[in-house]
Amino acid sequence: MGELRTELVELLPRLRRFARVLARNPHDADDLVQTAIERALAHARQLRADAPLAGWLFGIVRHAWIDEQRSRGRRGRLFAAAEAADEVADPAHGAPLDAIAVQDAVARLPDEQRLAVALVLVEGLSYKEAAHIMEVPIGTLTSRLARARDALQALLGERDGA
Amino acid sequence: MTFSEETLGAYADGELDAATRAALEAAMSADPRLAERVARQRALRARVQDAFAPVLAEPLPERLLASARGAAAGQRPDNVIRLEPRPRARWSWPQWSAIAASLVLGALLGPLLLGPLLPGPPAGNAPVDTRAGRMLASGVLSRALSDQLASAQPPGAPVQIGVSFRERNGTYCRTFIVQGASPLAGLACREQSAWRVEALARGAPAPGGTAYRQAASALPRAVAGTLDELIAGEPLDAAGEAAARERGWHP
Repeated sequence: MGELRTELVELLPRLRRFARVLARNPHDADDLVQTAIERALAHARQLRADAPLAGWLFGIVRHAWIDEQRSRGRRGRLFAAAEAADEVADPAHGAPLDAIAVQDAVARLPDEQRLAVALVLVEGLSYKEAAHIMEVPIGTLTSRLARARDALQALLGERDGA
Repeated sequence: MTFSEETLGAYADGELDAATRAALEAAMSADPRLAERVARQRALRARVQDAFAPVLAEPLPERLLASARGAAAGQRPDNVIRLEPRPRARWSWPQWSAIAASLVLGALLGPLLLGPLLPGPPAGNAPVDTRAGRMLASGVLSRALSDQLASAQPPGAPVQIGVSFRERNGTYCRTFIVQGASPLAGLACREQSAWRVEALARGAPAPGGTAYRQAASALPRAVAGTLDELIAGEPLDAAGEAAARERGWHP
């Protein structure tokens, strides 16, 4: 258990980044990570010695996220939709930082596409690892990823010098 | 041979088998438009990665470290004063509930706040003042909320400003930490020429950084929750913050 805790601490930055792609805001993202840590420690026996710890933890964060969305229910979806409709304030000061534009575009993707983006584009996992965490065949993952890319290109448009 | 966007994406992800990769690279050298499509896919991947990379450099929230390390539970200061109920629309806030709220606030604030906040008998320098059931920033806190930029905090300032943002109706709000032996963290929103305090909690963690996301994650839970509830869009960046100050924080 001591070893697991040490590795958990080392993986915290990546878990936070992964959750940040999924959740509505940084606070909710850290809540997901907190839930995942507690579940991981409670189910440490299920971890196979030969399985990569990061992948197992990403899967736990994903489940925590799905549970959280279910419990949030209709009210939450309405709130999220209203929030997504709000534009970044202060148009007088030119385009927002690119990171904000990209995060905003990712936030508009359907959940399953956002998950594929988080695992493959942000976390750099292989298709095989990502499909395993998402519990779908690789073909499903690649088509979600392709749709996500199309949507992101459409939302973000061309950028000079890119 | 034609290549789908899905194949080009897989190339950017390093997921093509050797034969397809070789065929694609050969085709790219002969077809600038194909090379451009590939460049666009690679740029998108890099852009998405870059957008989330700064999270890795953020200081880790104490609560997550404590959970992962298994530190004793209950260390988080939870003596939080949430100013509820927050009126849905301020103009319809009935008088009687303002009176009730002032009684509740008085009861809460007496032992919890006013003691440490008011070190001496003259109350002129307290950072928070209750008037007609509302809590308004005063003294050093009011000045910091109006004048201090998060991007240029004077070292050792008694108040540290965190995140500045707008509510849906355009009102500006800012999070803050009042330094001291018993630090207070809170969130205040502009109301005419005053700052109305929307949430306060004792026991601010040590300031963890300057970026607004770091500042937000370093806030006590109740204050961060109020921020989540009120914020519309993204927090102001340094330029937005400076422009809002120019306008006296009026929408």
